[in-house]
Amino acid sequence: MINEILNSITFIYPELAVSIFLLIIVLVDLVFHKDKKYIPYISLAGLVITGILVLNQIGITHFAFVPQLSAVKKYGMMTIDPFGSYFKLLVVVTSILIIFFTIASEEVIDLKERLGEFHALIYGMILGMLVMISASDLILIYLSLELLSLSSYVLAGFLKLRERSSEASLKYVIYGSVSSGLMLFGISIIYGLTGSTNLYVINSLIQGPQINLFTLSFSSILMFVGIGYKISAAPFHFWTPDVYEGAPISITAYLSVASKAAGFALLIRFIQTGFTSFISEDGYWTLIAVFDWQALLIAISILTMTLGNFSALWQDNLKRMLAYSSIAHAGYILLGIAVLSNQGLIAVLIYFFVYMLMNIGAFYVVMLISNKTGSENIDDYDGLGAKAPFLGVALAIFLISLTGLPPTAGFIAKLYLFIALIDANMIVVAIIALLNTVVSLYYYVRVLKHMYLTKSEREQENITPSIGSLVYLLVLLIPILFFGIYFTPIVEFARSCVSLLGI
Amino acid sequence: MENSQILTYLLFTPIIGAVIILFMKESQTVLIKIFGLLISLFAFAVSLYPYFNFDYTNPDFQFIHKVLWIESLDISYHVGADGISVLLILLTTFITPITLLSSWKAIDKKIKLFTMMMLLLEAGMIGVFMALDVFLFYIFWEAMLIPMYFIIGIWGGEQRIYASVKFFIYTMLGSLLMLVAIIWLTVAASKNIGLYTTNLILLYQQAPNIMLDIQKWLFLAFFFSFAIKVPLFPLHTWLPDAHVQAPTAGSVILAGVLLKMGTYGLIRFNLPLFPQSTVEFAPFISILAIIGIIYGALVAMVQTDMKKLVAYSSVSHLGFVVLGIFALTFESVQGAVIQMVNHGLSTGALFLLVGIIYERTHKREIAYYGGIAKLVPLFAIALMFASLSSIGLPGLNGFIGEFLILLGAFQSQVLDSWWYVVFAATGVIFAAVYLLWMYQRVVFGTVTNEKLNTELTDLNAREIIVLVPIFIFIVWIGIYPTTFLDLSEAPVSAILEHVKNYTFNFLY
Amino acid sequence: MSIYDVIFYLFAILTIGSGYLVVTSKNIVHSAFYLLFTLFGVAGLYVLLAADFIAIVQLMVYVGGILILLLFGVMLTNKVTDVKIRTGTIHIIPAVIGTGLLMGVIVSMMLRTNWKSEPGELPFTTTYGLGRILLTDYVLVFELLAMLLLIALIGAASIARRDNE
Repeated sequence: MINEILNSITFIYPELAVSIFLLIIVLVDLVFHKDKKYIPYISLAGLVITGILVLNQIGITHFAFVPQLSAVKKYGMMTIDPFGSYFKLLVVVTSILIIFFTIASEEVIDLKERLGEFHALIYGMILGMLVMISASDLILIYLSLELLSLSSYVLAGFLKLRERSSEASLKYVIYGSVSSGLMLFGISIIYGLTGSTNLYVINSLIQGPQINLFTLSFSSILMFVGIGYKISAAPFHFWTPDVYEGAPISITAYLSVASKAAGFALLIRFIQTGFTSFISEDGYWTLIAVFDWQALLIAISILTMTLGNFSALWQDNLKRMLAYSSIAHAGYILLGIAVLSNQGLIAVLIYFFVYMLMNIGAFYVVMLISNKTGSENIDDYDGLGAKAPFLGVALAIFLISLTGLPPTAGFIAKLYLFIALIDANMIVVAIIALLNTVVSLYYYVRVLKHMYLTKSEREQENITPSIGSLVYLLVLLIPILFFGIYFTPIVEFARSCVSLLGI
Repeated sequence: MENSQILTYLLFTPIIGAVIILFMKESQTVLIKIFGLLISLFAFAVSLYPYFNFDYTNPDFQFIHKVLWIESLDISYHVGADGISVLLILLTTFITPITLLSSWKAIDKKIKLFTMMMLLLEAGMIGVFMALDVFLFYIFWEAMLIPMYFIIGIWGGEQRIYASVKFFIYTMLGSLLMLVAIIWLTVAASKNIGLYTTNLILLYQQAPNIMLDIQKWLFLAFFFSFAIKVPLFPLHTWLPDAHVQAPTAGSVILAGVLLKMGTYGLIRFNLPLFPQSTVEFAPFISILAIIGIIYGALVAMVQTDMKKLVAYSSVSHLGFVVLGIFALTFESVQGAVIQMVNHGLSTGALFLLVGIIYERTHKREIAYYGGIAKLVPLFAIALMFASLSSIGLPGLNGFIGEFLILLGAFQSQVLDSWWYVVFAATGVIFAAVYLLWMYQRVVFGTVTNEKLNTELTDLNAREIIVLVPIFIFIVWIGIYPTTFLDLSEAPVSAILEHVKNYTFNFLY
Repeated sequence: MSIYDVIFYLFAILTIGSGYLVVTSKNIVHSAFYLLFTLFGVAGLYVLLAADFIAIVQLMVYVGGILILLLFGVMLTNKVTDVKIRTGTIHIIPAVIGTGLLMGVIVSMMLRTNWKSEPGELPFTTTYGLGRILLTDYVLVFELLAMLLLIALIGAASIARRDNE
C-alpha cells in the first residue's frame, strides 16, 4: 500500500513542484508583505523547474496511484504518458509566457500589492490543469476541473474596480457552476451504470451487453457539457466573449490557451480511454459502438467554428474579436479530434502549439497598444502600421498565422488538420472548415486594413515597444515563421507524443 | 542541364532586391526607384538564360532544381520549366520593369514599400510558373496575394479598400479550395502508390488512376479555384473592382501576369492530372468560356469608364484562352498559350495608356474626352496600336492567338460542333466594336472639353521607353510567331498526348 | 409500501417542497429558513441510504455551519428584511419545455436502466472505511482537495479585501 503511494509520487513530480511553489508563494506573500517584487521571479523559477520535470517525463508511460483496495488493481487514477507530457509542457510554457505578459501589462494597477494572490491563483490553475491532463479517474477529473475553475473565476474578476470585470467573473461562476453540476450528474450516472470511476474499468464494462445505451449516451453528453464549457465549444460558449473581454488581458490570453489546452487534453483522454476498443494499424480509433462520438463532435465543431467566426465579424473591440476567434479555433481543433485517428491527434497537437504562439502574441500586441492608448477599439488601430512599425508587422504576422496563410506556422497547423480530415474522407467537413477560414479571413484582414490602409484622424505619438517586449515578441515570432517554412521538427515532436496509455 | 540552379537564382533575384531595399532609407526615393528598376532588369536578363539554352525538342521540364524540404510528406523545393513556363516567366520579367518605370511619377507615397511589394510580387509570380511541387506551387500562389492586396489597398483609387478586401477574399476562397484539392489529390494518390508525395511529375502518372468519382470532384475543385483567378464567367465579379481601383502598375501586373496564373494552372494541373474529367467537362467549360467572351464584350461596350472597359475586355479575352485550352487540339492549346502572352502585352499596353492619360487629367470617363488626336498625336497613335492589337488585327499579335484558338476549336473532336466557333467569333467582332467605339469617342471629333487643352501633354520620353518594347513584341508575334510557338510546341503536344492516352477509348 | 418507502417519500416531499418555497419566497429571511428544511431533508435521505457519515456531515456543515452563517449575514445586514426580492418568472414557455424534456429523459432513464448493484451486507458504520480509503487509495484526491480549499481561501480573501480608490 505505502509502497504504491511512494512509487506513484515519483510520477507526479511536476504536480508536486507546482504545489510546493504555490505554498512558497503564499508564505512569501505573508512574510514579506511589504516588498512583493520577488514573487514573479519565484513563480518563474517554479515554472522552470516544473518544466524541467515535465521534460524528464516525456517518453514515460506509467500508471500512478493504482487503488490497492478495489477489485481491479491494474489501472491508476493518473496516467503518465507522452500525450499528457506534451500538454503539460504546453501548459507550463504558456504559463511562463503569461507571467512575462503580466509583468509587461499595466492593466492591473494595484497588482503590486496583490501579486501574492495573483500568482497563487495562477498556480492553482496550473495545478488543476496538470492534474486534469493526466487524470484517468472521474473523481480526479471533476476535482481538477473545479480547482481550475475556481482559480479562474477569481482571476477573471481580478480587476474589481472595473464593472465589466465583475460582471465577467459572475457570469463565469454561474455558467461554470451549472456545467460542472451537470458534469457531476453525468459522472454519478456513469458510476451508477458501471460501479467504477476509473476510465479504463469503465471502458471494459460498457462493452458488456447489459449496458443501457440511452442512459450511457445521456451521461456522456452531460460529461461533454462540462468539458465543452472549458473549451468553450458551442453551445456552451456564451460566457466566453464576456469573460474574455472583462478579464485582465493576460488572464484572457491564459484562459484562451492553457485552460483550453487542458480541456482538450481531458476530452481526448476521456474519449480515447473511455470509449475506444482498439486502434488500427493506420492509426484510426475504433470506438465502442455505444455512443456516436464522431457525429456529436463534428456537429459541435461545425457549430462552434461557424458561430465563432460569424460573431467575430461584427466586433469592434479587439479583445472581444480575439475571444470569438478563439471560439472558432476551438471548433477547428475539435475537428481534429472528430477524425478519431492518430493523424487527427497529431494535427491537434501541432495546432495547439502554434495556437499558443500566435494567440498569446496577438493578445500581447493588443495589450501593448492598449497600454499606450488605453483602448482596444479597432478604430484606434488606424494608421498603426506607420506609427508602430514593429508592432504592426508583429500583429500582422500573428493575424495572418491565425488565418492560416503561408508562410506562417498557422498554415502548417491547418494543413495537418486538413490532411487528417481528408485522409478520413471527411471532404464535406473539410470544405465547411475552409469556408469558415474565408469568413475568418475577413475579420483578421479588417485589422490589417485599419492598421495599414486607413489613415488615422488624430495625431498620435509613435509607439515604441521596450526592449523586453521586443524580445518577447521575437520569441513568439521566430518560431511562427521558422516552423512555417521548416516544420519537420514540430511534426516529429508531435508524432512522438501522440501515444496515449491504452488498455 | 539536369540540375541547373538558374531558376533558383532567378527566383531569388527580386527577393534579395526587396531585402536590400528594406535597409535603404525611406527618403532616398530616386535611389530606391533606380535600384528596383535595375533589379527587375537584371531578373529579365537572368530569365533570358533559360530561353537561350532551351532544348526545343525536349517536352519534359528542364533546368530542374530539387532540394528535399519536408521529409515526412515528401515535399521538396522543386522547380523546373518547360516551354510554357519559360514563355510566362519571360512575360513576367518583361512586364515588371515596365510597370516599375511606368509608375515612376504615378506612385508618390511610400515608394520604398511599393518597390518592395512589386519585387516580391514578381518573385511570387515567377515561383508559380516554375514550381513542380504542388505544395510549393500553393505557397507561391498565396504568397503573391499579400503584396497585391497592399498594392491595391495603399496606392489604389478612391474605393481601394473595398476593392482590395474583395480581391483578397475572392481569390482566397479559390486558393483555399485549391489547398483542399491539393491535399485530397495527394492523399488519394498516396493510397494508390502507398507513398505520400507532392511531386507534380510523380502525380502526373498517379493522378489519372484515381477513382473517377473522386477525380471528378478534384477536377472541379482545381477548376473552380483557377477559374476565379482567370476569371471565368460567372466568377469574374472581383476583377472590374480590382482593376479599376488598382494603380496602373497593379492593373498591368494583374492583367498581364496574374490572370495568366489561372489559365496556366488549368494547363499545368487540370489537363494532365485529370485527363478523363477534362474531356468530360470540356464542353460545359467551353460554353462558360463562350458566355464569358460574349458577356465580357457586351458589358465592355456599355462602359463609360475606360479602365472598366479594358477590365471587361479581359474577361472576354480570357474566355478565348479557356476555350482554346478545353478544345484540346494542338492548334487551340498553342493558340491559348500564345494568347496568354498576347493578352498580357496588349491589355497591359491599354492599361498603361489609360494610366498615362489619367495621370494628367485624373478622369477616366470616356465622355470627359474627345478629339484629343490633335492635342496628343503620339498618344493617339499608341492607343490605336494597342487597340488594334487587342482586337486581333491580322499582322498584330492578337490575330495569331485568336485565329489558332478558333481554328483549333473548329477541328476539336471533344467539342464536336462548329457552333462554339460561331459564337466565339462574335466575340472578335464585338471586341472591334467596343474598342474602336471607345477610340472614336476619345480620340476623334472636336475637343469638347476646354480643360483638356491645358491638361493634356503628349507622351514624354519615359513613357515612350515604356511603350516601345511592348509594341515591338506585339509586332514580332504578329509577324513571326514561330519564335514563341516553338517554345511551347513540345510540351503542348506532350500534354495532349498524355490526355489522349488516358481517354483514347472515347472521343478521340 | 413498506415503512422504508413511507419515510423516503416524507423526506423527499420535505426536500422538494421547501426547496420550492426557497425560490418563491419574497422574504430573504424566510428563504433562508426554508433552506434549512431542504438541507435537513437531504440529510434524511442520506440516512436512508445508510450513508451515516455523509448524513452527519450534511447536518453539521450545511445546517449547522453554512446556514447559520448565512442567517447571521442576512440579519446583520441593515434593512434586509424589508427588501423585496424579485421572484418573477421570465421565458416561462421555453423553460417549461426545457425542463419538461429534461425531466422526461431523466425519468425514462431511471425507469429503464439496469443499475449496477453489488450484493453484500450493509456496513454497520461507514466512517472507518471512508477514512481508510481516503488516506490510501484516494490520498491524491484528498490532498488535491486540500489545495482546492487553500485556493478557495485565497480567492475569497482576494474578492473580499477592500480596494483603494
